[in-house]
Amino acid sequence: MNKIESANQLNGFLNGVVKHAGLKLKYRITVDPAIADDRDWERPDILVEFAGPDSSLLLERGAELLRSLELLAMEMLRLPGNEHEKINFDCMGQRKARLEELRLSASVAAEKVRQSGTPYHFAPMSSRERRIVHLALRDEHDLVTESTGEGLRRSVVLYPKDQKSSQRI
Amino acid sequence: MTDQAPNPKALIEHVAKALVAAPDQVIVEQVDEDGELVLELEVAEDDMGRVIGKSGKIARAMRNLLHAAGEKAGRRYELEILE
Repeated sequence: MNKIESANQLNGFLNGVVKHAGLKLKYRITVDPAIADDRDWERPDILVEFAGPDSSLLLERGAELLRSLELLAMEMLRLPGNEHEKINFDCMGQRKARLEELRLSASVAAEKVRQSGTPYHFAPMSSRERRIVHLALRDEHDLVTESTGEGLRRSVVLYPKDQKSSQRI
Repeated sequence: MTDQAPNPKALIEHVAKALVAAPDQVIVEQVDEDGELVLELEVAEDDMGRVIGKSGKIARAMRNLLHAAGEKAGRRYELEILE
């Protein structure tokens, strides 16, 4: 991916989207953004940050519109799935807040699995969010994560390690 | 920041043309149906997958965007992809 060219394409795309949708939003596109230490797992090549009176529209229902714009932008750039991490859309610190939420639910789930000895099923998530959950739990050596289900129903399941390995043939 | 009324036809045209391989074959018609504005999108046969996406996720993203524009306009916009 040519970062500068992609940033220019993103600008042309978003300019039209914001204008034709009548959204009161401004956005800033940064190539090779500086990333805070607590987000070192996420190193996008291009960061797009939205602000403005219609930010709330982007953030409703779990930032559904923000994620939709991000997906359309990645498709517009013809980015293959393994390069989706290179583009990151954010608005009012939503990503950081969501990251903290996912990490917290991962740690609560880990305790539940240890106490109950039974698997914990997370709600369905995007591939990017599932990755965050897998990473958040990778140092819990007595537990194992696995993704299950298809398409929009795909979700992470957290197992006690001994139980999971005994299921494998 | 822009301050203009939503233009759903231009919006879908803009997004669809950015997604497909044959932008000159993108056609968007708008039809008024009981107060709801339906945007009918037609693309080249080979581009259908590009506007629908795996499990319909591209089409869903376009609909989300269109609904937001509708919210700004105070009316309901719907997207139909013609096969």
